[in-house]
Amino acid sequence: MNGSIRTRWILWRGMPASGRIALAVVLALWAVALVSPFLSRRAMEIRLEERLMAPSTAHPFGTDDLGRDLLARVVAATPLSLAIGLTSAAVSLVVGFLVGSVAGYLGGTVDLILSRLVEVVLCFPVLFLLMALAAFLPPSPSTVILAIGLTTWPGDARLARAEVLKARQLDYTRAAQAAGASMPRILLRHLLPNALAPLLVSASFGVAYAILAEAALSFLGVGLPAPAASWGGILSAAPAYIEEAWWMALFPGLALFLTVSAYNLLAEGLRRGSTETGVVG
Amino acid sequence: MKRYLSRRLLLAVPTLAGIVIVVFLLLHLAPGSPVSAIGGEASRRISQRAAEEMRRVYGLDRPLPERFGRWVGRVVRLDFGESFVDHRPVSERIAEALPYTLALNGLALFLTLAIAVPLGVAAGGKPEGPLDRTSGVVLFGLYSLPSFWAALLLQAFFSVRLGWLPLFGVASDSAPTGWAGLADRAAHLALPVACLTYGSLAFYARLVRASVAETRTMDYVLAARARGLTRRQALWRHAFRNALLPLITILGLVLPGLLSGSVIIEKIFAWPGLGRLYFDSILARDYPVVLALSLLVAVATLLFTLFADVAYALADPRVRDGTLE
Repeated sequence: MNGSIRTRWILWRGMPASGRIALAVVLALWAVALVSPFLSRRAMEIRLEERLMAPSTAHPFGTDDLGRDLLARVVAATPLSLAIGLTSAAVSLVVGFLVGSVAGYLGGTVDLILSRLVEVVLCFPVLFLLMALAAFLPPSPSTVILAIGLTTWPGDARLARAEVLKARQLDYTRAAQAAGASMPRILLRHLLPNALAPLLVSASFGVAYAILAEAALSFLGVGLPAPAASWGGILSAAPAYIEEAWWMALFPGLALFLTVSAYNLLAEGLRRGSTETGVVG
Repeated sequence: MKRYLSRRLLLAVPTLAGIVIVVFLLLHLAPGSPVSAIGGEASRRISQRAAEEMRRVYGLDRPLPERFGRWVGRVVRLDFGESFVDHRPVSERIAEALPYTLALNGLALFLTLAIAVPLGVAAGGKPEGPLDRTSGVVLFGLYSLPSFWAALLLQAFFSVRLGWLPLFGVASDSAPTGWAGLADRAAHLALPVACLTYGSLAFYARLVRASVAETRTMDYVLAARARGLTRRQALWRHAFRNALLPLITILGLVLPGLLSGSVIIEKIFAWPGLGRLYFDSILARDYPVVLALSLLVAVATLLFTLFADVAYALADPRVRDGTLE
């Protein structure tokens, strides 16, 4: 079962330069996230006499409506935005893989029912469901993660179903069945590793999407509760000061844009890497 | 063909039932009621008895299955009750907001396709050519650009800095009449339409590009070239026509995406459409409006996908005469 290690190596070798740069950016962002708790808290203090100051050497990103240093706030928000993106995408992937692979593997009535379930969720605008869940459940990071994970899984489910349908007829699956392996074992030990490349691509796009979704929720004011601030949360104060403080809109969004493009570019690189080296059939 | 269509219609029935159940459960199992949403000082002043009275009036004290039965019974007659907020019929509030959302999103979708299709065909006709490479990079950037951030930057630049376009709203207070009034409305539409257009642009252009790039080397396209058709004719009449099939399927699911985008954009630009109505109703826990909107949008989406599948069947000869199921 060294399929996953081989897959990883092949993905890296086949990845275009843009994908490798994107990977470096993602790693750098995580490095920022890891050291951000140790950076000075003083920059985040509320100083009303320094409110709405334009970018300067003292405050490279300017200050917000409460006189807090925006650079410090953007850096402090990094771990939250990244972690919520990653965990929501993980929830979505797990639910999607479970539903999709079981539907594809069992086929027949089970497939018919699960496919209808996917269809039902797809009929709703993601943001409608997200807002309803986020607004009606007690506000917390785990609510946001669950809401995003539980509304974005249909894409992963469709992908997993297609992959399992393809692999179900192949010799290695037949061999595992003949050896008497149970369905969970076949799905997790045999089909999952072989569908890893496309799932990884989907997961990377998924992280980008989840980070955007969280930012949108927090921007609309139904995301994370007040003291915790993600990039979307910082941005939510910007519209009120759009006429006097453009920097409140520019810099938190720039961090968001950089992160989302890096994850999307990484996903694109992984896809190229996997199709050109034939990991994806 | 007949078998395909009847099967497709039959499968839509459980999906419809699923939609109805999801909408109802999602909101009625959630904690918090319009009574508690009054919030703050006011809610503390509402006595226990008054709160119970309110719940009784709105039927919130009934058991869940009974509420579900009553609700379904009214909904099939298109009676969505009245809003908790202003006590007007829900259907009236939705009907008021609908034209604004249709105008905004219709225009955005039209623009998206008008740019994405020619761009996708041109880029896909010469993969890795200069146009394909530059448009690929630009579209990728737009794809990753959060719409609410773009909206804020556009406002800061075009409205605040340059003063060319209004910050938000549908029309100026002292709206002139005639052509000047039309120009005023167009100016108010410009930024929100731009924001809604650029995001989906990347998605559709890449889709068209991918299918054209794939079909352009197929035998029937090469044969068309060999018969003496120009490159342009071969691309548009043959390669693009085949690329229309995935486009039709995708357009079936266009509605949820448009409305998701519309929530944020309508909020930023104070546009009184469905997205804004949904947002306000969520915050006010205005259940009847939230329920009605979710249900109507989901059912409309289901109908769209049905139409798309029928259109697909009509467009694809293999499905049309039943050689491919």
